[in-house]
Amino acid sequence: MKIFLAALLFAAVAAVGVAIALNSIQQPSSVAFTTGGARVGDPGHNLVGPS
Amino acid sequence: MLKAMCAAFALLFVLAHPAAAQLSFKPTAESVHEDQLLNALKEGDKITGRISIPDAMAASLIQPAGRDWRDFHRSKLPIIAGVTIIGMLAVLAIFLAVRGRIRLDNGFSGAKILRFASFERFTHWLTASCFVILALSGLNISFGRTLILPLFGPDSFATMSAYAKLAHNYLAFPFMLGLVIMFLIWIKDNLPERIDLDWLKQGGGFFSKGRHVQARRFNAGQKGIFWIVIIGGVLMSVSGSFLLFPYISADVTGLQFWTVIHAVIAMLFISAMLAHVYIGTIGMEGAFEAMGTGEVDVNLAKEHHSLWLQEELTKGHVPSGGAPRPVAAE
Repeated sequence: MKIFLAALLFAAVAAVGVAIALNSIQQPSSVAFTTGGARVGDPGHNLVGPS
Repeated sequence: MLKAMCAAFALLFVLAHPAAAQLSFKPTAESVHEDQLLNALKEGDKITGRISIPDAMAASLIQPAGRDWRDFHRSKLPIIAGVTIIGMLAVLAIFLAVRGRIRLDNGFSGAKILRFASFERFTHWLTASCFVILALSGLNISFGRTLILPLFGPDSFATMSAYAKLAHNYLAFPFMLGLVIMFLIWIKDNLPERIDLDWLKQGGGFFSKGRHVQARRFNAGQKGIFWIVIIGGVLMSVSGSFLLFPYISADVTGLQFWTVIHAVIAMLFISAMLAHVYIGTIGMEGAFEAMGTGEVDVNLAKEHHSLWLQEELTKGHVPSGGAPRPVAAE
């Protein structure tokens, strides 16, 4: 049981670590795929926004 | 009088249908009808425009192959899923009903022998737990809108799906790590051998009580599962990487290709793992302990992995616990 729980914990920590790493090296799509002239100040909370 | 009435009707008709009154001039006669345009485009063709935003894929205006892709997801994928996943569940249910649980012919001896070390079990559960969440969240992506949305409503479904998508994206990485470690630690025990043919010819002894086929650490069935996991896992990882980082392919057609590969392999993968889970739990008595505690009963090892047990005893790995009862030689 301990090994199973350890595996779950490791998976969760690894997933969060990857998420943090990828978010730090990638830009949100609202920034990456628009130019300054077309960029909106608040893209909102949807799939293309920062969140 | 009649002539005046006809003139009045003619004038009324012209006023009411100005376009019809100018039939000699047809500004849309040479324009493109959408269905004709789409039918004229060959497979792989697409109409692109010129854009200034840094999004190469946004330049694709019309891509007829997208209709085939949509048709695949709406029509063909549910059939593939039904045949593979529900079909596998049906086969397993029939097998359980006909064959029953595969029990130890000589019962439990009480003596245990280590089958999987801690790190092996850790790797197994790391990969397996990620796989379960990846499978469920993936099925939700493909079929949640049809199967789950009506049950929970749009708000709950949207929230659940958003979190499921995040889990799917990021748990893919520990899953891939688990695949690599599994490959490295178990490849040496999963190379094909001549005795695997004998095991396959006799159906692993699963179809007749009292018959046991010799096997080393992994029998042919387990080796099959190993290679399904490795090859299927690699295909899922490669196709999934294109979906995780869509600008690797930088092409809508490429993304559609990889989603098809990802979805089809996923269905086959899930159905194979259902069989694996079945035989490792309710299908075979005492099998779960191998990945539960790491130790299996000596009688299970004798009946299903007799050559491996001999090797372990030769290495001096003595069973622990109660005294094993004598078992008839195979």
